[in-house]
Amino acid sequence: MTATAPDPAALSASHDIITIGMHADDVRRRLHGVCTTFVRVADVDAQPGAPIHVPPSAGEVRIAGAPDSRASAVSRVAEVRAATSGRPLSGFALSDLERLSVREQVTLRSLLEELCAAGLELVAEAPFDQLEDPRRAIEEVNIAGLALARLTIHQAPAVDTVAGFQRVYALQRDVAVLRSFAPLPRRFNPAVPSTGYEDVRRLALARLVVENIPSIQVDWALYGPKLAQVALTMGADDIDGVSAEDDVAQGRRRAPLEEIQRNIRAAALEPVERNGRYELITR
Amino acid sequence: MSIDHGIDHIVEKVRAGGRVDRDEALALYRRAPTAQLGQLADAIRARKHPEPVITYIIDRNVNYTNVCVARCAFCAFYRPVGSTEGYVLGFDELYRKIDETIAVGGVQLLLQGGHNPDLPLSWYEDLFHGIKSRYPAFKLHALSPPEVIHLSRLDQLPVPKVLRRLIAAGLDSVPGGGAEILVDRVRKLLHCYGKASADEWLDVMRHAHHLGLRTTGTMMYGTVETDEERIEHLLRLRALQDETGGFTAFITWSYQPDHTELAGSEATGVDYLRTLALARIVLDNFDNLQASWVTQGGKVGQLSLAYGANDMGSVMIEENVVRAAGASYCMDEVEIVRNIEDAGFQAKRRNMHYELLGDPIFREREVPRMLELATARADGDTSVPDELRHYPARSRQGKALRVVQ
Ligand code: SF4
Repeated sequence: MTATAPDPAALSASHDIITIGMHADDVRRRLHGVCTTFVRVADVDAQPGAPIHVPPSAGEVRIAGAPDSRASAVSRVAEVRAATSGRPLSGFALSDLERLSVREQVTLRSLLEELCAAGLELVAEAPFDQLEDPRRAIEEVNIAGLALARLTIHQAPAVDTVAGFQRVYALQRDVAVLRSFAPLPRRFNPAVPSTGYEDVRRLALARLVVENIPSIQVDWALYGPKLAQVALTMGADDIDGVSAEDDVAQGRRRAPLEEIQRNIRAAALEPVERNGRYELITR
Repeated sequence: MSIDHGIDHIVEKVRAGGRVDRDEALALYRRAPTAQLGQLADAIRARKHPEPVITYIIDRNVNYTNVCVARCAFCAFYRPVGSTEGYVLGFDELYRKIDETIAVGGVQLLLQGGHNPDLPLSWYEDLFHGIKSRYPAFKLHALSPPEVIHLSRLDQLPVPKVLRRLIAAGLDSVPGGGAEILVDRVRKLLHCYGKASADEWLDVMRHAHHLGLRTTGTMMYGTVETDEERIEHLLRLRALQDETGGFTAFITWSYQPDHTELAGSEATGVDYLRTLALARIVLDNFDNLQASWVTQGGKVGQLSLAYGANDMGSVMIEENVVRAAGASYCMDEVEIVRNIEDAGFQAKRRNMHYELLGDPIFREREVPRMLELATARADGDTSVPDELRHYPARSRQGKALRVVQ
């Protein structure tokens, strides 16, 4: 935190959402200017033998879902790796791998090393609130030769967002490998969805508190273009989950690439495509 | 937020309560950061509504027919005369919808539809009489200006006479639909100049105001218009409001492109918040601005409350037009109130005149949750209301149907 930073605890109690967003936007612009990165992702199922479709525009191939067993996880990574033509391959939630290692009575590190040997490059996400020991688990990822695509939050805590984010800040101080943090929960109750104020406040507070993680990320597919675009003006600088399917003939009226670039520009920002390794793509 | 000092004097003028002119509005729209526009709009909202109250209305948005001869290029809702998917709702169906609306605390029907050549003015008069005799306190917010013009052409009567007859039958207020962008260049490109030119739309509203009706003003943006034309639209509404004071509220929404002839892309969420904020700044003589959660979704709909809106619009029990164009968001009263309170405001029910009716109805009595919007008709229902045979049809297909009936 910088000396001049506003007090996040006070901001978290405020309904002045524009002011909160402006503070976060100041930090975001200091770190990234108007540059807004996005990644086009091809999701494939974790089940061995499931179809694998990797559109040419995919900047990351991601194995989604929890593996049934260590053997199926390893064989699926090998299968998908063979179809990625050198694109970054990510997969699995670190919490699922942590549980799998316990179930299979192997160390997390050896499981991660096996996945790395089979061709996995990145663990797709580390759900901070679901990990038994976040620091140890993230260090194991690193030691096993893998990278972590992003730190996520599985479910919003009932109270005290700021304290939760301070723990994330402390985690990064310890591990120093986190490239991106997606602070909006991945799971929510459809009967009582989070509100726009809640989402924007969470994003902005994440940007203000977790200043030591370079990117604050929002998921395009999960949160929708409208909220995700507004988030870019209130602290977020990176968009995950853009579909790699660019084939208009497949029933889409508007290609995802055109849509994402248009939305970023309409927020007075500059779109820059990246891949899963955070390398910028110039096509 | 990077501040553009070239607009400082305009920002100061707005802060001091001054009125912006065309060039100043354009400079703000093009150059002010979104947050700055939002703060200016929010300050005006707070000045006009010092109590931290956000209102909403429980009403039902019913589209009595989808048959339309206007064929606007941006519309996914209409069906041409003779289409097997065309419908007209029967009086009994409409009464049933009113019963359902009253059961959840509703106070009004927002009644709009296509320009159906087989529904003469007498059909509307009988319907309105029927509603008012059964539900005397229930309000009819009905027939946008292009529908009034259509009836005036169909029955060959001047607009004031059509309005007088509708008022005598029970019309309470006029919704601002069909304004799109009040610039004829745009209206011609959208194929909606024929249904009403900009002057004709404004004239209907002028007549309605002179006859004592309150109306709303609207703007559908994001088709083919320029920034200058959006501002021209707002200035024309502001001028009429200066003249008559008859508008209760302004509502803007983005063009919904799916399944339309015009196609293209929808304007973004940030575009919406900027446009809403600009409207709050330019329309300094409008008290109320609605959030269009129906087109923007609940989240950006709620964020609208920070960008100038003071009203969450309608707890829509039914919606057909926006859904036909691909958007389908649903919020019942519980959800609307949750969103208002989460933004730091008190939620109050209102009527069309923006008079407060009370606290949320679900806190007073048990009301069923509505987790999805009803439609005008169930899928596959192709029935033709019996009473239609009493009204002369204009179209060949309508005449043939009357013979069969
Ligand atoms: S917008 Fe109204 S007038 Fe135009 S085609 Fe659709 S229903 Fe008809």
